[in-house]
Amino acid sequence: MTTVALALVRELAVMVKAPRMLYLHWPFGHALGAPNKRDQQYTVLHDVFSMARSAPRPGLIVDLPYPWKRHVYTPISNWTEESQAFLQGIAQALQMEKAQL
Amino acid sequence: MNKQTRLTPISRWRERMIRLANDTGWGEHLAYWVGKVAGGLQLRLEKLRPAGEIPWTPLRRPIAQATVAIVTTGGVHLCTDEPFDLKTDASFRAIPRSASSADLCITHEHYDRRDALRDLNLIFPLERLLELETAGIVGRVADVHYGFGFVQDPRDLLASGGKVGGLLSQAGVDLVILVPA
Repeated sequence: MTTVALALVRELAVMVKAPRMLYLHWPFGHALGAPNKRDQQYTVLHDVFSMARSAPRPGLIVDLPYPWKRHVYTPISNWTEESQAFLQGIAQALQMEKAQL
Repeated sequence: MNKQTRLTPISRWRERMIRLANDTGWGEHLAYWVGKVAGGLQLRLEKLRPAGEIPWTPLRRPIAQATVAIVTTGGVHLCTDEPFDLKTDASFRAIPRSASSADLCITHEHYDRRDALRDLNLIFPLERLLELETAGIVGRVADVHYGFGFVQDPRDLLASGGKVGGLLSQAGVDLVILVPA
């Protein structure tokens, strides 16, 4: 069974060592975004699915770049393709991992 | 999914504090810092799992054919079930996919629940997943999902977390989305 965890505190995400984690710098109680913002919530779910499909190995924490406010979310045009935000996040995570070695 | 979800009342002082943390920039920073420091100290998760032992299960089928479930730690449960103990509670509650917002309550005193009360999808995105199932983007939304409340010591979660993992596995779930408070 595959798991993808959302995290709102990056330092705890590092400690948890879950197989796949997506970090959002958003307030507690808002892991999927703001109330009734469907496109924002779909964006997070799209990133969850991307992580489930494409994370190359356990323990990577992908930082999603969405600011808490003043970000325009558009409808997901292709659910089977990974989002640009996710691809950038995973590239950054792999780069950070490489730099630490 | 909104309006009718109910909150288990918490102390007025704590309600004021968590609202302050949500409504102000400095409060948000303070809440993050407290979450990081207090959580880190309490959790001591480094000791729970030695380095290099992170479990890994590849996704076994495309999302459009997969069964997806939610596990939330936002204190969500059926209102007909016993509420979580606000101080600490490692037990879990099963939430059927048929549960509507009117059937669900939030029992948690460590985050501002006002927005989740307006739209439960923020901590329990069942309605969004059901929409994706209807659209054929998700194969199937699981029949049963699980809610946890606040836990002081994460080691208490090992037994109940393992039990929930077993139940989800038995139910043929392919993907579990873990949503924090």
